[in-house]
Amino acid sequence: MVPFDSLIWFYILIAALIPAAVLGFLGKPIKYYGAVVTFLFLLLIFNTPTKFLYLSLFAVWQLALVKVFPLVLKKINKRPILWLFVLLSLVPMLINKFRVEIGGSVFGILGLSYLSFRAIQVIIDTYDGLIGKIKVFDFLYFILFFPCISSGPIDRSRRFTKELETPYSKEEYRELFEKGVWKLFAGAFYNFVLSNLIYSYWLTPLDKGFLADVSYMYGYTLFLFFNFAGYSLMAIGTAHILGVKLPDNFNMPFAALDMKDFWSRWHISLSTWLRDYVYSRFVMSALKGKWFKNPYTASYIGYVITMMTMGLWHGLETHYIVYGAYHGLLMCVNDILDNKVKGFKKLKRNPKWQPLFCLITIHLFSFGLLIFSGRLF
Amino acid sequence: MEEKILEILAEKCGVEPEDLKEDMDIDLFEEGLLDSFAMLGLLVDFDEQLGVKIEITELERSEINTPNKVIECLSKRG
Repeated sequence: MVPFDSLIWFYILIAALIPAAVLGFLGKPIKYYGAVVTFLFLLLIFNTPTKFLYLSLFAVWQLALVKVFPLVLKKINKRPILWLFVLLSLVPMLINKFRVEIGGSVFGILGLSYLSFRAIQVIIDTYDGLIGKIKVFDFLYFILFFPCISSGPIDRSRRFTKELETPYSKEEYRELFEKGVWKLFAGAFYNFVLSNLIYSYWLTPLDKGFLADVSYMYGYTLFLFFNFAGYSLMAIGTAHILGVKLPDNFNMPFAALDMKDFWSRWHISLSTWLRDYVYSRFVMSALKGKWFKNPYTASYIGYVITMMTMGLWHGLETHYIVYGAYHGLLMCVNDILDNKVKGFKKLKRNPKWQPLFCLITIHLFSFGLLIFSGRLF
Repeated sequence: MEEKILEILAEKCGVEPEDLKEDMDIDLFEEGLLDSFAMLGLLVDFDEQLGVKIEITELERSEINTPNKVIECLSKRG
């Protein structure tokens, strides 16, 4: 069963959320009930023995890694050990992406890249000494939490477990519940009404040719926004009702003034993950090791590496790689304009000029999404 | 310690320490004095010059966005 896709899914979901809401309104912790519901939904989502086996193998593998990692670190606390464990954590995803064919696709489980990023975050934070001991229950509940299993948002383990330790009071839960219900409905409207209408009446009838491509670019951008932001809202809403405040994933991307701003508004949980665990780490290592004469070089190379990682994370197809390179380049240009052109930043803050910046940014990211869609390749 | 922190911070912001002292609760990011790249350089400088190691993922931006908060954050770890 595909999450948030059919009427029957919503019937089951609502039935499952009612007891959670009752617990919440009584001020009781929801996590154990939430774990049971998660398990049942995993059975529904991964509904063949093979899929469920892959998921179980994946979870056991990641659990073993996060348990063994601190023990190894105690003996040898060296950076290559971190790299090794990150690589080991990526193994299922790598096997899947390279499609090593042993009787069909291997580890072809829904949300594999999301699952992998959640596990890697735990490994890196453990290396940084930010996570002490991680409990089996907390870890599994965190990586497998069903509302965000297939398409995010990508939560952070420290935020998640802290929330599990301090259940919400009745009043706090009421607020969370109301927000959750609202997000669930808004998300369903985005996804089922708006994105479906755009898909059926705008994208499907389009022919081939330049003008059609231009039209597709606008249509696809709107379609993807309503589809994905809607999906995220439904996941976040469901999580809220289960007492988990998943972070927002979209924040008015069409109001972005430049590409940096765009990435703080679009697929936020992925872009901030990459910012924190790829860009920042690379730049800090480069600055500490004085790898480059000009410190800004570290930032530019950091952007390219980060955005290429984002492209590859989506898949190994050419259009994803070009998509990553395109955004890496845009981030560098963005930075160069900000730093080298006097008065550029000031102009961006001037309300009179802002509509123009917005319009340019919309076109830059829409073109990016046209690449992403694969239509040009 | 406080003087030294302000000195490093001021250098990254491209101003004099005295300028920062005028308003210790100014939002460094909103005023355009710091961006995320400068923040990373700042953390590297704190590590190298003061021996205070802070990972970027340890902090929310709201925990380190004013001179006072920077000082508070470093004194806690120093």
